[in-house]
Amino acid sequence: MKTTQQVSKLKQGTVLDHLHAGTALRALRVLNLAADQRITIGMNLTSKRLGRKDIIKIDSYELNEDQAAKVALISPDATRSIIRDYKVAEKHDLHLPVAFRGLIRCPNPNCIVHDERIAGSFVVEGRDPVTVSCDYCERSITADQFEFE
Amino acid sequence: MVTARDFVGRDVITVGDIRREELLYLLDAAEEFEGVTGTLLAGRVVATLFFEPSTRTRLSFESAVGRLGGCCIGFAEAGVSSHTKGETLADTVRVIEGYSDLVLIRHPREGTARLAAEFAEIPVVNCGDGAHQHPTQTFVDLYTIRRECGRLDDLHVVFAGDLRYGRAVHSLVSVLTQFNAHLTLVSPNYLRLPGEQRRALEAQGIEYREMTELEAAMPEADVLYMTRVQQERFTDPLEYVKFRDAYTLDLQALEHARKDVAILHPLPRVTEIAPEVDAHPHAAYFRQAHYGVAVRKALLALLLGAAEKVLG
Repeated sequence: MKTTQQVSKLKQGTVLDHLHAGTALRALRVLNLAADQRITIGMNLTSKRLGRKDIIKIDSYELNEDQAAKVALISPDATRSIIRDYKVAEKHDLHLPVAFRGLIRCPNPNCIVHDERIAGSFVVEGRDPVTVSCDYCERSITADQFEFE
Repeated sequence: MVTARDFVGRDVITVGDIRREELLYLLDAAEEFEGVTGTLLAGRVVATLFFEPSTRTRLSFESAVGRLGGCCIGFAEAGVSSHTKGETLADTVRVIEGYSDLVLIRHPREGTARLAAEFAEIPVVNCGDGAHQHPTQTFVDLYTIRRECGRLDDLHVVFAGDLRYGRAVHSLVSVLTQFNAHLTLVSPNYLRLPGEQRRALEAQGIEYREMTELEAAMPEADVLYMTRVQQERFTDPLEYVKFRDAYTLDLQALEHARKDVAILHPLPRVTEIAPEVDAHPHAAYFRQAHYGVAVRKALLALLLGAAEKVLG
């Protein structure tokens, strides 16, 4: 049987693979890449691990740690591969942290963090769906409520 | 085993900061502190940063400090602090800790006490942060319940009124889960206990029921905890008007309850308890307000490391 590659190969750049199906567009919004950035998106692709998955290939751009951490909050099973000269130079699972500062804002308008010049602080409560709790007001926040910085 | 030393220098931000054994120790200590006056806190200064109005909490703390020979500095409304000049809370706290040994803070924003504690080396006690928590009210409530009912375990507690915005409710519900309480939550749908708290109850396997009719909830109650609809938390005044008279406990309604039901209210009340109920032998809400002094005396003495003379 003839097999075909679902998304074309990159020479340089980043591949975000094993994104939960349906999360690629949100992940792209969060990454806030330049308008002229060349990107390939695959959605609802077949995946042995997830059943269905999304994938993002970003040409000639290496995702930084902050961006990777934000994607992990949207899709905690994703992997990040850095491609150099058509080869995978680095590959990492995007782990959900136990706790983190910044990345998102507490959506509770009455939380003190909005009045003070400090980054939000959060503890991860669950991964399916990703749920975190604000250290200050203790509100639970699910992934669909995340407002990224 | 819990000892007085376990409390020294600690912050009290949420009821979750104090374990069940420590709560019981605090309540026992409060009994010991009833009627105690003297100079235990002589030379100690307690800062009261009240960015929001308070009568019972602030005055009972001030009374507690005064009766133990300490003194209070601070303000009772945000308008008289440097907050109005744009000073951050973090800066306010860093300045005040140079003037005092302990900070009491009330603020309309949720999480304020936690933030203050991050910037202060001295103990910070949350006296109410928005609709979030009011832990010292919970200590007073537990003390009152134990005095009125003779125990804390296995009680059927009915909460009625504004369960959405009432921070005293949020704190007390959270603590009662440690005492195998049976909870009935009576409110209009709009004023239900917040989803986080309901999910937390479910996650702990705590059974609770939600109702909208007060009378129907009352027959099994050991404790009836009435609350005011929190006008100051509503963004739409029309919504407040719709719910402000949701429940009124009067003598007729009390006929549905057991004769020995303990009636509590964190006060102030508006229309949710008719004045005719005040003479009911188990109307405990004024005693509850008075117990605040003993409980807060014990808490302050413990946090400031001055309790051992009384507790031994």
